[in-house]
Amino acid sequence: MTTRPVKVKITYCAECGYEPQTLELTKALMYEFGNRLSAIEIVPWESGTFDVSVDGQLVHSMKREGGFPEPHVISAAIRRTAGV
Amino acid sequence: MAVDRARWEKGITYEAFKAAMTRNQDRFAENEGRVALDPETVKTFKSLPQRLRVLVLAEDWCGDVVANLPILGRLAKEVPTLDVRVFYRDQNLDLMERWLNQGKYQSIPVLVFFDEDFRELGHWIERPASVTARRAQLREKIFAAHPEFGSPEAPVDQLPEDVRGQLQAALQKMREDLVPFANAEVQRELRELVSKVAA
Repeated sequence: MTTRPVKVKITYCAECGYEPQTLELTKALMYEFGNRLSAIEIVPWESGTFDVSVDGQLVHSMKREGGFPEPHVISAAIRRTAGV
Repeated sequence: MAVDRARWEKGITYEAFKAAMTRNQDRFAENEGRVALDPETVKTFKSLPQRLRVLVLAEDWCGDVVANLPILGRLAKEVPTLDVRVFYRDQNLDLMERWLNQGKYQSIPVLVFFDEDFRELGHWIERPASVTARRAQLREKIFAAHPEFGSPEAPVDQLPEDVRGQLQAALQKMREDLVPFANAEVQRELRELVSKVAA
């Protein structure tokens, strides 16, 4: 089955010490999807942000959902988008 | 767990915290250098009838620590009866649990004032509410003046990279411009806190 590479963006608050969670999620996605992702973009931001979008669709927002996302939630969104 | 002498002595000095910073050291030093201590602040602290211990919860990645802890550091240099010990938040979560912001957030810096016998006299968390409110006002103005920034509520990652850079620059400038107000507000709140203690 042909799948479509998708892009993931992780926007994190650089003033809140969210680097470990950002790197943990990035690593999990790299290992799980490898080159089935076109890119993982990491955006340092502020204001308590931890947002994850998949091909431009916001799939997790700390302000909306609260807390950090479970990696399996992001994986599921990627699979839906990629058609895996 | 109560804070006693043994626990207190596990904290590090303000200077040791600065020396051990793994990031933001330059920004911290710059902020310290431009703190304008209000003579009223120095007078208030110098006139206290007793020596004060100040327990600080901090981490070097935190913007509010980098902005506000230098004010206490400068004050402690002027007021020898202020004894400051810094504890890393993430290594001292039992302490953090005692002084949560609104009972739930692990906001830092936390400054806890004790007398010489470790009786708590009061505490201060993160930043003044007046600073948070002023920032929110100015943030709204920035978005109102720049339709290209979109909605303040929209995820920032959906902005084109160049626009996102412009927004970041505008927000940074706003925070920079607010530093004198913010520093004055921190000092006002600390004066009020210790004045109640002394009363």
